[in-house]
Amino acid sequence: MAIELSNIRFHYSDQPDHTVLNIPFWSLADGEHVFIHGPSGCGKSTLLGLLSGLLTPSNGQVTVLGQRLDKMNSRQRDRFRATHIGYVFQQFNLIPYLNAIDNVLLATQFSKKKKTNALIPEIKTLFNALNISEKEWYKPTGELSVGQQQRVAIARALINKPQLLIADEPTSSLDAANRDAFMKLLMPIVTDNKMTLLFVSHDLSLSSYFNKVESLIDINLLEESE
Amino acid sequence: MLAKLALKSLLDRKGSVVLSLMAMTVSIFVLLGVEHVRNQTKENFSNTVSGVDLIVGARTGSLNLLLYSVFRIGSPTNNIQWESYKNITNSDQVKWAIPISLGDSHKGYRVLGTTQDYFKHFNYGKQHNLMFSKGREFNQLFDLVLGADVAQQLDYKLGDKVALAHGIAATSFSMHDDRPFTVVGILAATGTPVDQTLHVSLQGIEAIHIDWQQGVKTHHNAISQKAFEQLKLQPKSITAFMLGLKSKMATFRFQRTINEYPQEPLVAILPGVALSELWQMMSVLENTLLLVSALVFVAACLGVSAMLLASIRERRREIHLLRVIGAPPYFLFLLIQFEALLITLLSCVFGAGILACSLLFLQDYLVSHFGLHIEMNFFTEQSLYLMAAMISASIIVAVIPSFSGYRQASAIKS
Repeated sequence: MAIELSNIRFHYSDQPDHTVLNIPFWSLADGEHVFIHGPSGCGKSTLLGLLSGLLTPSNGQVTVLGQRLDKMNSRQRDRFRATHIGYVFQQFNLIPYLNAIDNVLLATQFSKKKKTNALIPEIKTLFNALNISEKEWYKPTGELSVGQQQRVAIARALINKPQLLIADEPTSSLDAANRDAFMKLLMPIVTDNKMTLLFVSHDLSLSSYFNKVESLIDINLLEESE
Repeated sequence: MLAKLALKSLLDRKGSVVLSLMAMTVSIFVLLGVEHVRNQTKENFSNTVSGVDLIVGARTGSLNLLLYSVFRIGSPTNNIQWESYKNITNSDQVKWAIPISLGDSHKGYRVLGTTQDYFKHFNYGKQHNLMFSKGREFNQLFDLVLGADVAQQLDYKLGDKVALAHGIAATSFSMHDDRPFTVVGILAATGTPVDQTLHVSLQGIEAIHIDWQQGVKTHHNAISQKAFEQLKLQPKSITAFMLGLKSKMATFRFQRTINEYPQEPLVAILPGVALSELWQMMSVLENTLLLVSALVFVAACLGVSAMLLASIRERRREIHLLRVIGAPPYFLFLLIQFEALLITLLSCVFGAGILACSLLFLQDYLVSHFGLHIEMNFFTEQSLYLMAAMISASIIVAVIPSFSGYRQASAIKS
């Protein structure tokens, strides 16, 4: 199993009475591509926080790639996230004042991977595969178009060859043409690298790219009183 | 990568960073400058006289003797008999002696009666001899040599006639106007009380007082200029004298001999010791100056920290991103510390650079207008310590924004 959640309850420490997540059980098999949708405010960001180890559950077990995140300390979770999880956001995926290559290099700094100059050719290969033209490699990423930025963000998420890729509304700031281009670029890479993909979006038209589609409302069983 | 990230992020926020950098640079310039000037002034001060082994005067406190003989401040308690001077300086331990006779003035500037040995042996600073910017030393009875300030302030040139006044008040009613002196030399600036002194021969001092009784002029200008020069103008007493000894080793023994001189109560002081005693009295002022510049620096440190603290709010999403790609919270702490350190280091370089440039361009001006001899070389061990202290201080103050960044990073809500 790539992901296994059981008896999860989560509330923020400043609001102990307000349960945000209540997931009795949910799992995702290795190599599965799941599309999760749900209205805003239903706990999407919190779920992703738990899965990436930025947050820890108030109760319950979080197992990602066979490891219990709820039993790790924060340093171990940071290291685990850097090494095993790739992450793409809707926006602000990149440090705007660093160029594309440095942004990708930065992502390797915190993982267990070798930190050598051998990474540079690897990054360039990845950029070529993602159709990022050479003249954009050395520009501060703040000067790139949104579409280009999202492609650099994919490269950043893939450089550590993570087993799990989390995409948090990555297409929401793209127009229709760019959105389709993004999906057509992302899906084969994920398949080729046998990654597990967790894709969160409110845009149901994207669900056709996925073999598993779930609504967070069906996973997160909040009672009315909560 | 940390360094690159810190540097690029500072470059990205040029506006506020440049302002903080300027504030920091100015404060480091002030601190280094004050420290350097302070050290130099202290050194100049303790070298107001150099190469003089002993100063001898009528028995009094050592500071009093130093003040009136070197700084021309206050009044001598008593004079020394010419015989005593002769007796002491005849000793074979004495290499040279400079007699000093004070008591007259010109427009508030003291007149010093001495011999030509003064120009030969009197040293200041690091064994600098007195130099003439114009003219020569006195060799006639009514020749006058001016200190640099006197000549500049009163606008005197070679050949001008100057009447001395009896006593030391700025406005005097009893003038030696019947026997004016002629300016024959003007000394180069030294930054010492020499600049404010008029120098004449001991005989000149005697000559203008020759028909005075009890400090009052008696009116019979019977003695002609010619007759003066034939008169034997031997002074009966002098105010003090400076001694150079053949062997420095003998200084303490010779001092003791003078202090126990049986014919007259005398005291001999070591000018270096007395000067540092006097400087001690001014250390309050000195420390206040340093304290003020240290406070300026602390203010600049706080300014940099405030700038960094404000930036953390702008960089909320950047911090979140770093956390997501696996940066631990302490990475954020280090990043902000590093930014503060970069600003401080750059400011140190700029501050020191500006100080070096200002010294280069202002050196001559400081000498001619303030009599301050400031050397270029401010990179002493002490100033390096000072810079190390400043860097440490900035690191300590930067803990505030760094910790805020750390907390921001640990309390991520996705």
